[in-house]
Amino acid sequence: MDKLHNRILSDAKLKAAGIVEQAEEKSKQILGEARAQAQRDADDILSRASLEAESIRRSILSSRIRANRLRILDEKNEIVQSILRTVEKSLSDIASSNQFDSTLKRFVAEAVEAVGTDNVVVKIGFRNADKKSLQSLGQSLPKGTKLLAEETAIDGLGGVVASDPEGKMIFNNSFRARLERLDNQLLTTISFAIFGE
Amino acid sequence: MSGIEAVRKIVETEAQAKRIVEEAESRAQEILASASEQAQNVRQTSTAEAEQRKVQRLRETREKAEADARNSDVETDSLLENYKKLFENRKDAAAKKAVELILGG
Repeated sequence: MDKLHNRILSDAKLKAAGIVEQAEEKSKQILGEARAQAQRDADDILSRASLEAESIRRSILSSRIRANRLRILDEKNEIVQSILRTVEKSLSDIASSNQFDSTLKRFVAEAVEAVGTDNVVVKIGFRNADKKSLQSLGQSLPKGTKLLAEETAIDGLGGVVASDPEGKMIFNNSFRARLERLDNQLLTTISFAIFGE
Repeated sequence: MSGIEAVRKIVETEAQAKRIVEEAESRAQEILASASEQAQNVRQTSTAEAEQRKVQRLRETREKAEADARNSDVETDSLLENYKKLFENRKDAAAKKAVELILGG
């Protein structure tokens, strides 16, 4: 009888020990998986943090660099525009300089040649131009060329406009027209002279 | 021992054995519950630490970027100052060349 009693209790204790041991194994497994998952979660958070940090860095730097580039472009543009205003002033005062006669002859010759017909009509208009310069010019022109002296500066800055008698073919050789035709070269010249680039 | 006595004894022993097993099952449930709680703590702690490191990293990145941006401002200020000097020193020569281009071009 005692043997049976002991056997029953011994079996129960063995079963109980197995149940606890199994629970402890399961517990270790749960903790192991939790640690692994926690590591993956942390890696994921830090990985996304790296991307977010890079995005923030780019956003801050690119907006500031863009703003500074604009400041540089504005300053360069202002400098070039200032030089251009000086250039326009010099051109509008050309009649008072010793370059006027030669410039006038060259402009007229270019315009007449560009129109390329007989009996070209040449309009000349410079601020404060001396009539003598215009009269002396007439002697150097091809025969049949008609010279018209304008009271005001052509296109605001002065210059020469040549056309055929019907006005169908016109060559504008005013300073304003030349400024527009030479726009790119002009900007390059000024930029190189000031900035060396 | 009489037959009835023997049966009673076995019934008592069986009951004792049942209690032993039930106690073990209860202990096992406690172990598993504790493990689940620890697992949750591990994950919460790890996530909180990672979030803290993230905040720190973002703050450092922002500070570094702001510092770099300020350097860009300083470099630009210096460049603009240099442009002003170049303009003052070269504006007459630049205008002269531009006028020559228009007159001769």
